[in-house]
Amino acid sequence: MPSSTSNSDGAYPAVKTSFFDPETVDRPVPVRPWRVILFASLAALIALTALWEVYWRGKGFVGNDFKNSSSLWTQERRKAVGDETVLLGSSRMYYDIDLDIWEELSGIRPLQLSLEGTSPRITLKELAEDDRFTGTVIIGVTKLVFFTQFGGVREDVLDYYTDETPSQRIGHRFSQLPEPFLAFLDEQTRPKRQLTIAKFPLRDGMKPRFDPRKLEVVTADRNAKVWTRIMDEEPYRKEAQDQWLLAFELFAPPPAADGGPPPPMPDAVIDGIISEVSANIEKIRARGGRVAFVQPPYTGPFIDVEDFGFPQERFWDRLLTGTNSVGVTFKDYPEMQGLYLPEWSHLGPQAARDFTRSLVPVLYAEMHARDNAIEAE
Amino acid sequence: MLFNSLTFVAFFAIVIGLYNLPFPWRVKKFNLLIASYLFYAAWSPPFVILLWISTVVDWKAAQWIHNSDSTSKRRLFLSLSLATNLGILGYFKYGGFLLENFTALMASIGIDYQPAAWNIILPVGISFYTFQTMAYSLDVYLKRAAPAKSLLDFSLFVTFFPQLVAGPIVRPSQLIPQFAEPKRATSSQFYWGLGLITLGLFEKIVLADTFLAPAVDAVFGSGKSLAPLDAWTGVLAFSGQIFFDFSGYSTIAIGAALCLGFALPNNFRFPYAAIGFSDFWRRWHISLSTWLRDYLYIPLGGNKKGPVRTYINLSITMLLGGLWHGASWTFVVWGGLHGLYLAGERLLREFVPKQKWFSGWPFKIAMALVTYFLVNITWVFFRAQSFEEAMRMLASMFGFGAGEKVLYLNEILPAALVIAGMVVTHWMMRSTTKEAVIEKAPAWLIGVVWTFLLFMLVIAQGSDSAFIYFQF
Repeated sequence: MPSSTSNSDGAYPAVKTSFFDPETVDRPVPVRPWRVILFASLAALIALTALWEVYWRGKGFVGNDFKNSSSLWTQERRKAVGDETVLLGSSRMYYDIDLDIWEELSGIRPLQLSLEGTSPRITLKELAEDDRFTGTVIIGVTKLVFFTQFGGVREDVLDYYTDETPSQRIGHRFSQLPEPFLAFLDEQTRPKRQLTIAKFPLRDGMKPRFDPRKLEVVTADRNAKVWTRIMDEEPYRKEAQDQWLLAFELFAPPPAADGGPPPPMPDAVIDGIISEVSANIEKIRARGGRVAFVQPPYTGPFIDVEDFGFPQERFWDRLLTGTNSVGVTFKDYPEMQGLYLPEWSHLGPQAARDFTRSLVPVLYAEMHARDNAIEAE
Repeated sequence: MLFNSLTFVAFFAIVIGLYNLPFPWRVKKFNLLIASYLFYAAWSPPFVILLWISTVVDWKAAQWIHNSDSTSKRRLFLSLSLATNLGILGYFKYGGFLLENFTALMASIGIDYQPAAWNIILPVGISFYTFQTMAYSLDVYLKRAAPAKSLLDFSLFVTFFPQLVAGPIVRPSQLIPQFAEPKRATSSQFYWGLGLITLGLFEKIVLADTFLAPAVDAVFGSGKSLAPLDAWTGVLAFSGQIFFDFSGYSTIAIGAALCLGFALPNNFRFPYAAIGFSDFWRRWHISLSTWLRDYLYIPLGGNKKGPVRTYINLSITMLLGGLWHGASWTFVVWGGLHGLYLAGERLLREFVPKQKWFSGWPFKIAMALVTYFLVNITWVFFRAQSFEEAMRMLASMFGFGAGEKVLYLNEILPAALVIAGMVVTHWMMRSTTKEAVIEKAPAWLIGVVWTFLLFMLVIAQGSDSAFIYFQF
C-alpha cells in the first residue's frame, strides 16, 4: 500500500490526463497569486452585488420581503398546535387578511397558512389529521379554486412539511438573515425566473403560458400584502390583469356536447366535496376546535366567472349548510364591498386592512352565536 | 446537507476553523469524523446507524480476513462483509423493485399476490458508501492492501463528508494513507480548493438548475408525444443537466477536501469529447467505471477468457452498472445499451482494419458526435420514469410523435446556448486539464471569471433541488 498521495503544490507537473490510478491521487495545484485574485474577486463581487441591489430597488423591490417558500409555510405550520387560530385558503385569504389588524381587534394573531393557487381542502385535511391541533380554523373560499381542485400549485408544501430535513430547517433560518436588508433576494429577480417571464416571440401554434408575476410582499410570518407596483404602475397592473384573462381562456371548462355553455358541476360532485370537507371539520370539532368560512371579495371578470360558474346558493350556501358552519361573505356586508382590487382578485394593502377591520368583529360574532346555540342545545 | 445550501457554508466554515486550530492530529481527525456524521445526519439522523454498521462490519471483517490462513474462513468473512453491505443496499434500494417484479411474475402465472406497500425511504448516497466500503474488504481479501491500522482512520474513510453521498468513490489506498499523517492545506491548495467549490456550485446552481432544468422538466414532465425540436432539446438539455449536476458535485467534493489538504481523484474528464465508448467511460463517472472494472469485470474474467466471455462479462458489468443507479428496468436498459455500445466498438476495432484517416480530425470529430448522439439515446432511458415514456420520447425525437410543442423559446434558447458551449468546451479541453489551463491563464482573467461565477451564484439565489445523484 502506498504511504501517501501525491498532492503536489508549488511545482506544477506536466499535464497529466491519465485515466485512473487506484493507488494514488494526483491533485496538482496551479501556481497563481491566489490571495490577490481571490480578494480582488471578492471586492468586485461586492461592488457588482451593490449595483444589482440598486437596480432591483429601482424596480420597486424592497427589503423585509421574505420568500414565500415551502420552508416559510412550514415554519408557520409548526406553530399550529394547541388552540392557535389558523387561516387556510388560497391567495385571496393570503393577501386580503391583515394579521396586524386581526390581532389588534381580536387579541389573537392568527397563523397564515393559506397557499396561493391551492385549495384549502388539502391543508384542512392535513390539519384535521393532526391531533395536536385543537384551535380555530378560518377557511377562505375562492369558489373557483375550492370546488375544482383538491390541491393546487403549492400542494407540494405538505410533503415538504412532513419531510423537511434538519439541514433544510437550518438553511431556512440562515436564508432569512439577509432578507430584511437585501431587496434583490426575491424569486422574481432570479435569472431562472427572469428567463421564464422574458418576452420572447411565441412559436407557431403555441399559446402564451399562464404565469402570474410577483403580486405580493410578505413578512417573516407570512403577513402578505399586494405589491406597490400593482398599485402604482399601470403597465404592471395591466400585465397582472392580462394574466387572469389568459387563465380564463386557457382553463375554461370545455363546452357542452352541443356547443353550448359548459354544463354546471353536478350536484353529486358538489355534495361529495362538501361531505369530504365536513368530515375533516368534524375531526377538528371533535377535539374542541372551531371552524368558520370567509369569502373574500372579487370584481371585474371574476364576477362573471365565479357568479355564473359557481352560483352562490349552489356552492357557498350549500357549503355552510352541509358543514353546519358559519361563514361571512363580502356579498352580505356593504362595508366589505366597493374595496379596491387592483387586478380584480386581490385587495390592495389599505383595502385589505379595511376588509379585515370589517370582517373580524362580524366573524367572531357569528362564531360566538354558533357556540351559544350549541351550548343552548 | 446540500453543498448548495447556506447550511453547508456555515458548516464548512466551522469545520475549516476547527481544523486549523492547533489541536493534535488525532483530535482533528475526530472532529472531521463528527462533522461527517453531522453532515449525513442533517438529512436523516437515524440513517447514521447504517454508516456505523457498515464501518464496524467491514473493519472487523477485514481484520479477520487478514488474520486468517484458511481460504474458506477468508471467504466466509468476505461474505459477511458483502452480505452486510449488499443486504443494506438490497433492502433499502431494491426491496420495492424486487417485490414489484415478484408480484408481476406471480400475476403472470395467475396468482393474485398483493403485498403490503413497500414504504421504505432510500438513505442518501447509500450506493456510494456501500461500494466504497466493499472495495476495502475486497482489497484486503484480494491481498491488494493490508487492513487500516486505525479504526478512526477507517471510520473517516467511510464517512469523509466531502465525498460521502455522491462520490467520487474513493479507494482505500487512495484515502486511508492520507489520514495517517497530519495534513494541512497550503495556501495555494486552500484557494484552489475554494475555486473548485465555486466552479462546482456554478455548474450545479447556474448551468444545471437555472439554464437546463426548465427545458428538461417541461419535456420529461409533459407526458405527451412531442415535436422533434422539443424532444431533442429536452434530451440534450438533460445530457448537460446530468453532467453539470454530477460533475458539479464531484468538483465541490474535490475542492472541499483540498481546502482541508486532502486529495480526491477526478470523477470526470470532459466526457462529451469522448471518441467511442471506452473513451467515454474513461471520462464519465470514472470512480464508478473503474470500480466496476476492478471489482466486477476483472474478477468475472475480463477479456482473458476468450471473446465470447469478454462480451458476456462486459454486458453483465454494464447491466449491473445500470442497476446500481436505480431500482428500475429503465436503468438496466441504460446500462445494457452502454454494454452494447462497448461490445459494438470492440467488434469494430477487431474486424475493421485501421485506416490512416482514422487519426485525422474530421474522422475524430465525426466519431465524437456519433458517440454524443448515442449517449443521448441512453439518457432517454436514464431520465424517463417508465418504458412507455422513454419510447414516446424516442418516437418524438425521430419524428414519429404527434408533434406537440411544450417548450417556449425561453427554455430552448438558454438550453441551446449552454449545450453548444458545453460541447465546444469539452472538445477544446479534451486533452488537457483545468489546472493546466489555469496555470497558463493571465491572473486578471482568472479574477474576472471567478468574479463572474461568484456573482452568478449570488444572483441565482441558491438552488431549487438536490443533486440528481443523491437518489442513487
